[in-house]
Amino acid sequence: MTSTAQRRKPKPLSERPVPYDPEADPPERLPGSPVVAVRNLRMRYGKAEPVIDGVSLDVASGQVVSLIGPSGSGKSTVLRAISGLHKPDGGEVKLSVEPREMGFLFQDDALLPWRTARQNVALGLRLRGTPKAEAFREADRWLARLGLSGLEKRYPRQLSGGQRKRVALAQVLALRPKLLLMDEPFASLDAIVRHHVTQDLLQWVEGERIAVLLVTHDLEEAQALSDAVYLLSRGPRARISASYPIDIPRPRDLIGVRGHPTFAPLLQRIWHDLSGEVDQLGGGI
Amino acid sequence: MRDALARAWARQAIALTTLVLLWEVCSRAGLIDPFYAPPPTVIAMTFYELFAGGTIWEHIAATFSAALLGLFGGLLIGSALGFAAAMVRPLADVLEPVMILLNAIPRVILAPLFIIWFGIDLGSKVALSLVLVAVLIFFSVYSGIREVDTRLVERVQTLGGGRATLLREVYVPSVTAWVMGSLKVAVGFAFTGAVVGEFVASSRGLGYLLSFAQSTYNAAQTLALIFIIMAFVLLLFSLAGRLERWLLHWRYA
Repeated sequence: MTSTAQRRKPKPLSERPVPYDPEADPPERLPGSPVVAVRNLRMRYGKAEPVIDGVSLDVASGQVVSLIGPSGSGKSTVLRAISGLHKPDGGEVKLSVEPREMGFLFQDDALLPWRTARQNVALGLRLRGTPKAEAFREADRWLARLGLSGLEKRYPRQLSGGQRKRVALAQVLALRPKLLLMDEPFASLDAIVRHHVTQDLLQWVEGERIAVLLVTHDLEEAQALSDAVYLLSRGPRARISASYPIDIPRPRDLIGVRGHPTFAPLLQRIWHDLSGEVDQLGGGI
Repeated sequence: MRDALARAWARQAIALTTLVLLWEVCSRAGLIDPFYAPPPTVIAMTFYELFAGGTIWEHIAATFSAALLGLFGGLLIGSALGFAAAMVRPLADVLEPVMILLNAIPRVILAPLFIIWFGIDLGSKVALSLVLVAVLIFFSVYSGIREVDTRLVERVQTLGGGRATLLREVYVPSVTAWVMGSLKVAVGFAFTGAVVGEFVASSRGLGYLLSFAQSTYNAAQTLALIFIIMAFVLLLFSLAGRLERWLLHWRYA
């Protein structure tokens, strides 16, 4: 695990070129050490044309980076390459953290159905050698922190969708990851629950100053949470077609952040660029 | 919910009683030939005589031994083969067609062959029962592993789990669920194997008694034996049901 990216002084934001060139333009805005450096990543499934080809991006500690793009452009594939679930076909993924310091929150809330909430949360800790009693105590602490006290002994099918998602979140956060990969983690939740879970997560991420790479469909969510948003072009052979720094001070509040003067104009710009990618599909909506 | 269940029970009891009474009356009145369908009271008497004589236990023990040995052997061998095939691709290439063939044919046609190979004693019955069960369990375990929820596999992998953890936390529980789904069918198969084996050639067992009763056109004894076998299979069904609820408690919690 090597750390990478010699640090250069970032250019003033106004001069940042679009499309994105990682070599000329290291994206770390906040002081923080690089955690992930993806360079010219190419991924393919089987013999098909590469899903992504030439993707480069960086995430530093204390930084939240969002990856957006048209459906099927390969956003999840980037996360899978970083997590090690799939081997890259070309290019490289450099990590300055150990695999055990990574947390991956999936789109679905597939907990082990035969394990209780407590056992599910404790599993990762147990795999890191924590004794059972201590892992259970820690699991209960995290469940309580996410508002799930009293549900420790429930099985996943006895929990609501929002509760399952919180258990999945507790499962990942209990490991105190230094890098958190999230694949549309809250897509299935209703608006209110989603707001609360996201706000909880935001607070924790800002407190711990971990690196986060978030794949999402929701442009507002991306902008509200992130320090930088990367736009993936339409696939196959998707690459990063633009990057947008988000210059809103932290700590942030999910509602308040939308009132920031730069929020609406940037949202419009990202929306415009994303629509451009989608329109090239020739389909329209 | 409980009321609905109680009502269903009541309806079933009434239907059964009516049927038995009707049978008794029709048979006694000569509307149906007692030679083919002896009245229930006569069957009950035969039932009593079978047990009063005491020799029936020896036959029950023989059938039970064959069925249970076949059931456990079949579970063991079927699971082992299914697991091995799912893990070792070349083995699957060889085993799968054999199992598909064995699954497609009525496996009881193997009974005469097993009697030639293993004699008319316990061995041939266990073998037949075992083959019936093993093929069923092979497919449960094989597909249970092949079709395991990949999301769960990836979840455990990203939490840091290796092969041993995956086996313990994902594969074994999910295969258990599949096998429990076919356990009741397996119990039925185990008895089919044992009884059919005895039916073809033997000197002991409920199947042997059945074959004997049939050869003397003793309908009362045949029916009594059928009811005995049904009772034992139902008993095992309920045990299998309890085992399932215990092992899959997370599903019923």
